[in-house]
Amino acid sequence: MSDTPASQTKKQPVGYVVGGGLKENLRVRLTASPQSVQEGAFVVIDSKNWRFYGLVTDLQLGATDPRFADEQSEGRLSPELADLLLGQTLYTNLEVMPQLMMDRGPEPDSPQYLEWARAHADQETRPLAVKTIPAHHAHVRMADAGDIAEVFGEPGKDGNFVIGYTREQNHPICIDLDKMVQRSSGIFGATGTGKSFLTRIILAGLIKRDKASILVFDMHNEYGLDDTASDTGESVKGLRSRFGASKVQVVGLGSGTTIRGQTPDYHLVIGEKDILPEDIEMLTHELNLKDTTPTTLEALHRSFGNDWFNAFKKMNTNGRIKDEEGKSIPAPGSVDEWATESGVNVMAAEGLRSKLGRVFDRSYIMENPAANTLKEIIIALQKGRHIVLSFGNFETDLDYLLVTNLITRRIREEWEKMTDEFRSKKGTEPRPLAIVVEEAHKLLNREMAFQTTFSTIARELRKYYVTLLVIDQRPSQIYDEVMSQLGTRITGWLGDDSDIAAVLSGLAAKDSLRGMLSRLQPKEEVLMLGWSMPMPMLVRTRRYDDRFWQDLLGKENKGTAEEILKNLGW
Amino acid sequence: MNQTLQIGRLLRASTTSCVVGCKVTQREAPALGSLVRIPIDSQTGISIYGMISDIHVDDDGLVRQLVTAEGVSDEVILDNRNNRNVPLEISVIFCGHETGGKVSHLLPPRPPLTLDQIFLCTEEEVFAFTLPPRFGYFRHLLRANDIPVGEILASHLQQTAPIHQQKGNPGWGREAGRELITALRDDYPVLIDVLRALADAGLLSDVIAARSGGEL
Repeated sequence: MSDTPASQTKKQPVGYVVGGGLKENLRVRLTASPQSVQEGAFVVIDSKNWRFYGLVTDLQLGATDPRFADEQSEGRLSPELADLLLGQTLYTNLEVMPQLMMDRGPEPDSPQYLEWARAHADQETRPLAVKTIPAHHAHVRMADAGDIAEVFGEPGKDGNFVIGYTREQNHPICIDLDKMVQRSSGIFGATGTGKSFLTRIILAGLIKRDKASILVFDMHNEYGLDDTASDTGESVKGLRSRFGASKVQVVGLGSGTTIRGQTPDYHLVIGEKDILPEDIEMLTHELNLKDTTPTTLEALHRSFGNDWFNAFKKMNTNGRIKDEEGKSIPAPGSVDEWATESGVNVMAAEGLRSKLGRVFDRSYIMENPAANTLKEIIIALQKGRHIVLSFGNFETDLDYLLVTNLITRRIREEWEKMTDEFRSKKGTEPRPLAIVVEEAHKLLNREMAFQTTFSTIARELRKYYVTLLVIDQRPSQIYDEVMSQLGTRITGWLGDDSDIAAVLSGLAAKDSLRGMLSRLQPKEEVLMLGWSMPMPMLVRTRRYDDRFWQDLLGKENKGTAEEILKNLGW
Repeated sequence: MNQTLQIGRLLRASTTSCVVGCKVTQREAPALGSLVRIPIDSQTGISIYGMISDIHVDDDGLVRQLVTAEGVSDEVILDNRNNRNVPLEISVIFCGHETGGKVSHLLPPRPPLTLDQIFLCTEEEVFAFTLPPRFGYFRHLLRANDIPVGEILASHLQQTAPIHQQKGNPGWGREAGRELITALRDDYPVLIDVLRALADAGLLSDVIAARSGGEL
């Protein structure tokens, strides 16, 4: 049981394979100090022509005979003898989950290498999903920066974006942003685990990469303009502050809305004609609507067309009056009058009118808005701008559900139209769009998933260039079918078993990853898995600070005044 | 121990062990765990190496009478010891052999014959026979039944480690200890017995002392 720290033994093995397999993971006898290797460590195993990449999923203490572990020999034998005894009879085994393998050819100094290199001269060797296992006694070592670049890509190259570092050795780990936006993704973690900061980092990377437009439904007004961190009290730079209004536009919901005292680039006001009956049906749970609502709404739309919302709003609830003959008739302009004429249940219509009062009151819904800002948002996204829609003071679930679904429905229509035109060779290729949805479980839970456009996007709209980035702290509340469509999953610490199970659903190695996920550090540590990551990886996320912006934007970003002074030696 | 010391002649033997008859006095008697050499063919230069595993002092008729007699003088006791009718019996477990100067830890090709001479190994012979990584001879001792393996090994290591220390190989004791642990780690009772014997013999403490004194 040598005490050599693994960090000091660059390229030196930390152990050797003693057993295991693909199903039950590999067992590796650790020859370095147990404290030098941690759960989630990225290790490399060379065995003949193949190089295997794996994750440490467990560490276990063992003994050749349990009695050696039970008895404290140190007191009964000389220190030298005790050291010898413990070194040979007590050991630590690593459980390594093999993930990838790569043909590395014979040893470079062997005669066969030249022949192999010649045969593979025009083939790029890429890591493949693991299909076999290394031999007994194959040496295991910690991955170095080169190995990590081999698997996760070189920082700064193509769409590779440094999202964090390995826990032990601080090697940068990249995520392929281009791949990430090709499918829907999810960022999960309990409250306070740094989801918002991680989302900012990823959004900044996506905006800088500029391969897709981003629409952020910013329910808590965090992403667009500068903010103050709730835990540290430090200033947090917003995306528009750093990228400028030419790239990122902040849209405030409602006329005259300010975001923490700052004026957004423009305001979103929704025309009453833009609201369709299905937008209201989606609020069934929120407004406690009855089963009769769809029938009533359909009748309204049949009677008034796209003006149904305005017409219904203007109806009074005066009930019935008596005519000249003393006969009870519906009051003019009342719900009763319309319902009676349209053959709709009067009580149901009056009940709906009453419950829709909360929607009629929303100041961001106007009969004739001065500008069609909804259209402006769509055009901006089509042109490659990025939009952060801040909800300002409209922070209720009603606002969030109504507005997000309404906009997303329009987006779906537009992008489907553009894609169809492109495929029929009549138009240009649509700009890919990623919609960022906070508190996703409100829109994608089991009850809502069937009604909202979001579930359709998650399931089908990849083909129409639209994907979702869902952010949530309760992934178990999101509908299974939607979860299964999330290509890339990035998750911080989760305390609830059902949430952990939801994040890992559909993954072959979920049993191995479950323990790792439950033991993540409460902050700045995430498990990344899925489509844009070649293999699951535990990542210490980078900090969202001035250094991050300096790395991302280069020299043009001079950093804070404090940093400049510090760099000058003050 | 630099000179060859003949300790007796062979009484009986098998392919794995033999018994030697001696007339040496107690002071000159070889120690438990010592290595001995039995030349069996002077022409081919074959010698058998073994380790003393037991020393047996049998009685005879005179001793039985003297044990209960009163006022036995020192001269009589000395005479009885030096001129015994029954020899001292030393049991030897074969550990290897040498052919034409090449040491092997395999059993000898054939056992020695009666009245073959047995010699205590010199320091050079001990050094050459036990030079690491040559610890294969331990296995012959470890598989023997009904012998105090721990005590014999402790005694052997106690005698051999200083020879290696003198000859510039101070790590021999540690290597031997490691080898024993490896060989016995699946046999907890025997290993603990051996290690306790090594600890009682103060083995490896010399190594520690030397290290703390900066000699290594």
